[in-house]
Amino acid sequence: MMFSESQFDGGSQIGNSPAAAANRDTFGLVPLTIKQISEASHSGDDKSNFNVSGADVVNVTVVGMVFNIVERNTDVTFTLDDGTGKLDCKRWLNEPFDRLQMEEIREGIYVHVDGHLKSFKGEKHVAVFSVRPVTNFDEITFHFIACIHNHMRTSKVQKIQGSDGENINSTPNTPIQNGTNGFMSTLSSQNSVPFNVDGVKGFDQMVLAYLQLPANYGNEKGTHTDELAQKLKLPLNKIMESIRTLEDEGMIYSTIDEFHYKATSSN
Amino acid sequence: MKKKSPDLNRQQEMDTSNPAVLVNGDLLRSYVGRRVRTVIQVVRPDAGGLTSRSTDEQQIVVKGQMPSPLTTFVEVIGVAESAQSIRADIVTNFGDTFDANNFNQLCQHANGDFRHLFI
Repeated sequence: MMFSESQFDGGSQIGNSPAAAANRDTFGLVPLTIKQISEASHSGDDKSNFNVSGADVVNVTVVGMVFNIVERNTDVTFTLDDGTGKLDCKRWLNEPFDRLQMEEIREGIYVHVDGHLKSFKGEKHVAVFSVRPVTNFDEITFHFIACIHNHMRTSKVQKIQGSDGENINSTPNTPIQNGTNGFMSTLSSQNSVPFNVDGVKGFDQMVLAYLQLPANYGNEKGTHTDELAQKLKLPLNKIMESIRTLEDEGMIYSTIDEFHYKATSSN
Repeated sequence: MKKKSPDLNRQQEMDTSNPAVLVNGDLLRSYVGRRVRTVIQVVRPDAGGLTSRSTDEQQIVVKGQMPSPLTTFVEVIGVAESAQSIRADIVTNFGDTFDANNFNQLCQHANGDFRHLFI
């Protein structure tokens, strides 16, 4: 088989923490520059987690040049330099495959490393699951673009969470129900964007919240778009924009005609 | 006994404590005296190194020892001596096919809005 046991039992080397194992699955492999890793801090609740610009990170993907290879009986250590900084890496030699894979790794070559980000006596290092030489050098460009993309994605989700909060405070006449917040936190915890992230913004949220009011949610006929425009003091075209967005996302549906809408759930 | 390659010697003497900034031809001028890295297309090798074209079509002179044979694209890590020349510490063959346009755009991002991820 191509896979060695150590690729999957990273958790046991890390201290048998079920939390660490669970978290490891949550965020996937995060592409990072070594500078980002060097600036990562421990996230508050869990010592085995790191935080990079607000997002939790457990496993990382890095691409860089190999230096200072030191081979021992049980492990191989080396320093990875991606031009933004340097990072210590450690590959345990448990299976014959681990040894076989490390034989390809020489001083000065570019490699792609997947591993578990760890900290020992304040020094960060990566417990390597997999390391392979880079043969197509576009991969280096791609890796850095992936780092930028990951950064944009995580900071965008945070920004939405931030502006979400503002909307709640700045629209006193709009009771925002838990559903919307729950939806937002699901979005950020999955750290992925299943649909248009700009979807539930200011007006959309106001429309949704109005349709979710118990009186309106209980109305079989639904609520007329004119009523929405009137009650929310918004132009009809803005209402219709929001209606389309919310309908596309399956959060509302039209009832007796295309002017009456109802929320799909009360929260 | 295999003789140690000169490449390795240079790497060991090299100071890797400073990060090397990703640059194209245009950005090189902003980093004279600093460590940079770039990918260039070889135009012709010469006595002290090679003459090359950057990913944004500018001429860059690279000084230092070159690997042999050279591929079409090489990565150069070294110190920017002037707006058009680099004294190379490490020269790595990047092969004969490389997406210069992608790399050029990456350089712009790495020195623009996303600078803090790189330097």
